[in-house]
Amino acid sequence: MFLRWVTAAYLAYLVVPIALLLVGSVGELWLNTLLPTGLTTQWYRDVAGDPSFRRAFGASLAVVALTCAACVAVGLPLAYAVFRAESPRVRALARVLYQLPVALPPLVLAFGFILVFSSDTLPWLGSVWLLAAGHVVLALPYFLQTVLADMQRLGLRTLEDAAESLGSSGIQRFMHIVLPALSQSILAGLIIVAALSIGEFQFSNLVAGFLNRTYPVVLLQAFYGATGFACAATVILLTLAVAAAIAGSLAAGGATRFKTAVA
Amino acid sequence: MSTLQPAPQPSPRSAQRGSAQAAVSLEGVTYRYPGTQAGVLDVTVDIQPGELVVCLGPSGCGKTTLLRLIAGFLKPDAGVIRLNGEDVRGLPTRSRECGVVFQAYALFPHMRVWENVAYPLRVREVGVDERHRLADEILERVGLSGLSERLPAQLSGGQQQRVALARALVFGPRALLLDEPLSALDAGTRVAMRDEVRRIQRSHNIATLLITHDQDEALSLADRIVLLKDGALVQTGSPQELYDRPADAFVAGFIGRANLLDGTVIDGQTVHTPIGRLATAPHGRAAGSALRMLVRPERVEVAHGAGGENVFAAKVLRDRFFGATRQIEVAAGEGRLEIETAMRDDVAHVRVPREAIQFLNGP
Repeated sequence: MFLRWVTAAYLAYLVVPIALLLVGSVGELWLNTLLPTGLTTQWYRDVAGDPSFRRAFGASLAVVALTCAACVAVGLPLAYAVFRAESPRVRALARVLYQLPVALPPLVLAFGFILVFSSDTLPWLGSVWLLAAGHVVLALPYFLQTVLADMQRLGLRTLEDAAESLGSSGIQRFMHIVLPALSQSILAGLIIVAALSIGEFQFSNLVAGFLNRTYPVVLLQAFYGATGFACAATVILLTLAVAAAIAGSLAAGGATRFKTAVA
Repeated sequence: MSTLQPAPQPSPRSAQRGSAQAAVSLEGVTYRYPGTQAGVLDVTVDIQPGELVVCLGPSGCGKTTLLRLIAGFLKPDAGVIRLNGEDVRGLPTRSRECGVVFQAYALFPHMRVWENVAYPLRVREVGVDERHRLADEILERVGLSGLSERLPAQLSGGQQQRVALARALVFGPRALLLDEPLSALDAGTRVAMRDEVRRIQRSHNIATLLITHDQDEALSLADRIVLLKDGALVQTGSPQELYDRPADAFVAGFIGRANLLDGTVIDGQTVHTPIGRLATAPHGRAAGSALRMLVRPERVEVAHGAGGENVFAAKVLRDRFFGATRQIEVAAGEGRLEIETAMRDDVAHVRVPREAIQFLNGP
């Protein structure tokens, strides 16, 4: 009974703020009352029509896309190299190194970026590229962790040995075995990356210039204006994040479909 | 492209050594894992076409290393490996044409059953229709027709095993290498799959090396057993030879159950042992020298009285009933004896027939 109450209380704690956001985003007027009065879709239309929000939305999508692409391009070969490393000591060291950014506050990373990229030689502060580069640093550990765990779980090494004994060349093994067997975990990893990149604020707020502010950065401005507008803008971000989370757990479920074959 | 033809094909590069060619031949092969003492040491083995050789030994004895050396995953430090007479030391794994079945089968989880089986044909650029047909054909021969559209995860362990076998055979390999193929199965399936592996191997008439640590599996499957210990070859021979004429105490103890008796020679046909004074066949050792003897439990008899040659008073320490047989451990004199018998009577005396005693070499 006690456990049930604790669970219920925790769920309420999770759900109530979100529910209030939803309510607020369609409420016409919300001043000193418990709940807003009136029903309207005007706030959503306002957000959709706001040029700075439209621009931020586009910038966010561009940053997410770049971050995901870079994570695959860098992360997949890196994960593969760590996985195939002969020496256990090298593998352990690599693991420590690639997990380091998890402990790094985004603020510190942002200061570093500002120092390096505000100079005349590297004047790239504020570009979409640089935002994506920072997000890659922050999100890559999660991508590597997901993919590496799956490589081990699938017994990728033995699968490759098997393919090799059956006459498959290195490139064929990568294209026929490694990539398809990992496709689900690559997808799951990318969705984590996307979710992190969409919601990232600390780093983006400092590094984004005026032109390429990402959605969360602009969202902060919304709270200085009408409550309904702020709620509607937040709900949009929330929807994106929830969609990513659901897609992620679906992809992870798909990955376990293969699991028993090698257990 | 020799797909379903079981006959081994001499490679065009095939070499020099003509005589009654072994399909697989290892000559003085040595390999040490870098920085360790583990590996294999100076192993020489031939596998004839169609022969099933079982490599047996305790875990860590180098069995799997031997398989990985033949398949080309490891390069020997010394010695020569030949397949159908061709020295393959310079060949990478993918050019060695060995069908390997891994312990956990290593089926590709994202491919359907037929795609798994057809994979060796795919990398050999056989057309998709043709390889589908060939895959279905061999799947039928291993008793899996109708399952070819499934994913590996949807199959039982025994079925996965058959897929792995079919995949290893479909491209007409020079040899079949099986790494503990039955160890992942439950006990009932394992015994049934033993016969199945044997049947499939026979029907393809392919030189086969099967790795196992299970002596029952080795005895019931093998044409010939190669027994390894600490990376070195201890004895090679038919299952009967290894059981009836073990080279030393290790072989005697590892294959089947054994009573090992350490004695001191009294005279030409008498030895003093912990269980008492034992009359033996002439052993040709000097009086006072040490002699180690083997008596298989099923050769020890239950005696009905105290009199007679090599009859000892026995006290039952443990009595296990298996239906067809009973395994009894008795104390006799200062020593102990294991007995396997079908008799149901109480045991008070046991007899060790002279002809049941074998003399062992070495420590």
